[in-house]
Amino acid sequence: MFSVSRIGSEVSTSVKKACSVSETAPKRKHVRACIVFTWDTKSSRPFWDAIKVLPIQENDIQVFKALITIHEVLQEGHPSCLVGGYRNIPWIESLGRYSANQGRYGRLIHDYSFFLVQKLRFHREHRGFNGTFEYQEYVSLTAVSDPNEGYQNIIDLADLQDSLDDLGRLVIASASHNRGNECMISALVPQIAESYGIYKFLVSMLRAMYRSSEAVEALEPLKDRFVEQHHRLYDFYADCSAIRYLTSLLTIPKLPIEPPNLMVADNDPDD
Amino acid sequence: MTTKSMLRSIKNVTNGYSSAQVMVRNATSNDASGPTVTQMADVANHTYDRGEFLEIMDIIDRRLNDKGKNWRHVAKSLTLLGYLVRYGSEDVVIWAKDNVYVVKTLREFQATDSMGQDQGGIVRVKARELTDLLADDERLRQEREAASRKSGHR
Repeated sequence: MFSVSRIGSEVSTSVKKACSVSETAPKRKHVRACIVFTWDTKSSRPFWDAIKVLPIQENDIQVFKALITIHEVLQEGHPSCLVGGYRNIPWIESLGRYSANQGRYGRLIHDYSFFLVQKLRFHREHRGFNGTFEYQEYVSLTAVSDPNEGYQNIIDLADLQDSLDDLGRLVIASASHNRGNECMISALVPQIAESYGIYKFLVSMLRAMYRSSEAVEALEPLKDRFVEQHHRLYDFYADCSAIRYLTSLLTIPKLPIEPPNLMVADNDPDD
Repeated sequence: MTTKSMLRSIKNVTNGYSSAQVMVRNATSNDASGPTVTQMADVANHTYDRGEFLEIMDIIDRRLNDKGKNWRHVAKSLTLLGYLVRYGSEDVVIWAKDNVYVVKTLREFQATDSMGQDQGGIVRVKARELTDLLADDERLRQEREAASRKSGHR
């Protein structure tokens, strides 16, 4: 807001440093500088301009780090980052096409860019959600007032959760071959935050649907799917809890073993 | 007076900081201890002055965006800001809400000291607590009421 270090041209330096060649996690301070920049200027264009001109196509590690950076900026940046993201869907897709199935990072890059595109498409269709899916009351209210739309919302959210789950599994599987592979593991940080945000949304939206709808049988398929996702998410968090790099950095959410009761209201003590 | 605090007092003069700003800089310095409650209460009193308020927030903003090496600046500014939203003027609350992303993005702050020890944890915890407080209007109102009863301010 005031300080000299946050003037526009500096964002390209931060992007460059976040996507450096070294096989480490993108440094948080540089990613944070990008995020803070988008809020200070209420604009994401300089960020996208900077990341698109980086000469990273030659190097898998840099492409992968760019994807992590984009993911975190989409999550925590100013809402305009999502809008800028829609415009750059073709470019993000091209990152994934480039290195399909070659090198250690090939498959990861392919799936990650696929996921980001899916996330952006989701946000374009459902404007009520923010990048990290932080809970906002009004969204679940709109879902209830129009059950058909709510139904579709839940299906789309569950689809996104499935892709996220696949991606998380792939990352864990790839990283476990080489111990201490911080670069790959760091991709899990935004994924954990996102999957938990989606999970909380699904719980409260499903509860709202159950409370307002008369045709409870119609919601059965949604419920079955939710229960299945709950168990997979539980396993995913358990796997993440075993990775020291992650546990020192963030609190991994702990889900109950049994899926929560969907027939009660959100504020009930058994939540 | 240690060499470092001597250096700081020289910087205070050469960079032309106001007395309120010097107060904030001392409260959020790299010294191992502090900020003390007296220091924080002093700063809180000065946030009721419109001109000094902006000067104070300017320094806090800079301290919050400091590098990992100066993790004490960041940790102490979070402590101070947490105190100010409870005991300072209403303007602090408005400022903090407008700039909540500065605090929010610190929830993943990382820093290792020269011994290779992780020092970011304290910042991450403080940032998470402050973000939660700023998001909860009801709790913030209650805490401000309790604070004004305690300190006798308005």
